[in-house]
Amino acid sequence: MRATVKGRVAVFHPQGFLDGNNAPSFLTIDDIKATEALNVDMLLVSLKKVIFFNKNGLDVFVRLLLSIRNQKHISIGLCDYDSVKFKTINSFYGSNLNFSLFRTEKIAELFAPTNKSDSKTVLLYNEDPSQRSAMAIELFDYGHNPVIAQSKKEFDEKKQNADLYYAIIEDTYLGLFGQKIATRVTGNAIIYTIANFLDAEIGNTFNIAYHNNSLNVGFRLFIFDAYKVVSMNVHALNFFTKLASSAAEYNATICFVGLTFEKTPVSFKNDLEDAGMMFFDTMEEILKNKELLQELGGSSASATKHTRSLTKTLVNELPHFIDATVSTIAMMTNAVATKTSVNIQTLEVKETANQFASSIGFYGDVDGIIILVFPKNIAKKACELLIGEETDDEEAILDSLAEFVNIIGGRAKALLGEKKHIVDITLPRTYEDVDALMQMAQNKKGVQVDLSFEGSNFIFFLTR
Amino acid sequence: MITTEEVSHYIQNIPPAPSVLRQTLDYLREDDLTKAAKCAETDPALKLYLKTLINRPIYGFRQEVSDLAQIFGILGISSTQQTLYNYLLSLLVPKQWSLFALTDHAFYDLQASLGRKWEKILKHLNLHNRETESAITLLPASIIVCDALFGAHRNEVEQLRSVKALDYNTILQRLSKQSLFDLCSEIAAKWEMSPTIARIVHAASGLDVEIAGDEKVLAQWMHLLLFYELSQNVYVTAGLNEFIDFQIDFVQDIYESFMEVVAHESNG
Repeated sequence: MRATVKGRVAVFHPQGFLDGNNAPSFLTIDDIKATEALNVDMLLVSLKKVIFFNKNGLDVFVRLLLSIRNQKHISIGLCDYDSVKFKTINSFYGSNLNFSLFRTEKIAELFAPTNKSDSKTVLLYNEDPSQRSAMAIELFDYGHNPVIAQSKKEFDEKKQNADLYYAIIEDTYLGLFGQKIATRVTGNAIIYTIANFLDAEIGNTFNIAYHNNSLNVGFRLFIFDAYKVVSMNVHALNFFTKLASSAAEYNATICFVGLTFEKTPVSFKNDLEDAGMMFFDTMEEILKNKELLQELGGSSASATKHTRSLTKTLVNELPHFIDATVSTIAMMTNAVATKTSVNIQTLEVKETANQFASSIGFYGDVDGIIILVFPKNIAKKACELLIGEETDDEEAILDSLAEFVNIIGGRAKALLGEKKHIVDITLPRTYEDVDALMQMAQNKKGVQVDLSFEGSNFIFFLTR
Repeated sequence: MITTEEVSHYIQNIPPAPSVLRQTLDYLREDDLTKAAKCAETDPALKLYLKTLINRPIYGFRQEVSDLAQIFGILGISSTQQTLYNYLLSLLVPKQWSLFALTDHAFYDLQASLGRKWEKILKHLNLHNRETESAITLLPASIIVCDALFGAHRNEVEQLRSVKALDYNTILQRLSKQSLFDLCSEIAAKWEMSPTIARIVHAASGLDVEIAGDEKVLAQWMHLLLFYELSQNVYVTAGLNEFIDFQIDFVQDIYESFMEVVAHESNG
């Protein structure tokens, strides 16, 4: 059984009966290897379709989760259960419960360290005050707005107005959390939340691949929310200095907000400033000052002034990327997309109205970004198999479009792998209009392929 | 991936029931076991299938039983009909499974295990008759159809499932507007099985909203039985656990009775 990956959350979905006898059969050696190779921040087992489970059955999955957490410092847990199953799991593990429990997958996603969604208002209750606080802090760190009920009575009252909340968090438990540094995207700035004493461990908990990808796809402002940092040692200082050097290559800015120097040596501040880091007292100083934001590079996720040119290797692999796109469309729609023109140019979209766009980056032996621009009706058609029903819900279509480009990215990765080019793919990104895309791609030179599909045209653009 | 043309082509190529088998089933419908046995005797492949089946350890005979009249007598009319339908289904079993890591042996074990447990269930529900007993024989057809249609598209399905937890039945429904269970109904029609059998098996997908009464009860038990069996080691390893979507809400209210009838007896 393979986990399904959405964003940076991977979920196993076993069905039926789960016990000590059959559970090992769900995870072959290949499945375990594939899971270990996933580039995710959270790994879960959904119990939604499991009608019976016992501790031996759960233990098989839990052992895999714990082993991967030890290697990769990701969050792990079980999700999608009702109150009865929640009590059963608690009775199995008692005080040894060292993984998380999320009543739904939607709740779990709120706690995913790399959070690209908007701030959500959620209602939260847990009878254990320490759990309540831990969840509230985590949610807050991830940019959400938790409304905390202090008593069951207050919770039940607030629950009556369910429409006010994106999610109602109950029957949830945070076990050994904060494995990765919380990351969220606000506008075009990326905010990392760091806390406590910073030492060499930051090299494990900071998602450097995500950071590098963000630089590659055009983010230029990175903020460390350091209100809760007590102090740091020289190893952490070295880490931040190296980060500043790599950011300088992209003309990006890295800021610290709220860092105090009561216990951190002031000399560290000087070293970090020399490396190009900036310091602010409050987040508002940056995010609410448009001029400053523009100066720092956070007004748009645009490319740098020095655009990265296409490489010969990348151009040589172009047929593979087009194949990946065309074959994915054929797979999803049983219809054929045909190439009408190929040009090396900057991205040119003639029809800008009623278009959706999406992009996915890849990095490794070769690096680049695939951009697709579709008329909305074609995007909908291409995603019909994933959506499943007739819908005009743009959010659902964009979500499916992200899954769609993820498949293309996966295919491109496999095709490149056959040519011994090892690459990894970034999270897919979607754009509800062409303007948002052009902010990122306007100065980038690349290969534009116009494709025709069921009488309409769409654009494939490969760039760096 | 799979096109409606491929699905139509598959349906067209389902072989009709052999004439000897049809005649044997007709005699059974007339409750004439002797004539049915005599008729079956004329088909060597059918005779071999029945002999091999009855002499498996599960039936516990010390001496080899080879006379068809004796075999039909041992099985009785309902079980003979069920066995003949199982034979019919065996004609559809692929020479080489391409999607599921199954062997013929494992598939026949699944048929046998479903049949045994289904009989217990029918007795428990007091809904035992010739048609309800035979209904279980059509259920594994969904597995054969799935393997035949998706075998060549294994990698594509894997890629699709890497981003969304879609089962084969849903993928087929979305691509061709026909589900695996619609195709089972087509098979039932081609083999002149009773419409009741086709309806129960179709509803065993757990997705038919209009089903009611005894047929709904049978469909619930069949759905849960299928997942009980597909949760066994050999079928999980074969990849069968993921082939259709388990409708947990559809079976929740029969779960405890099911465990008493099927699971506890199996353990005992």
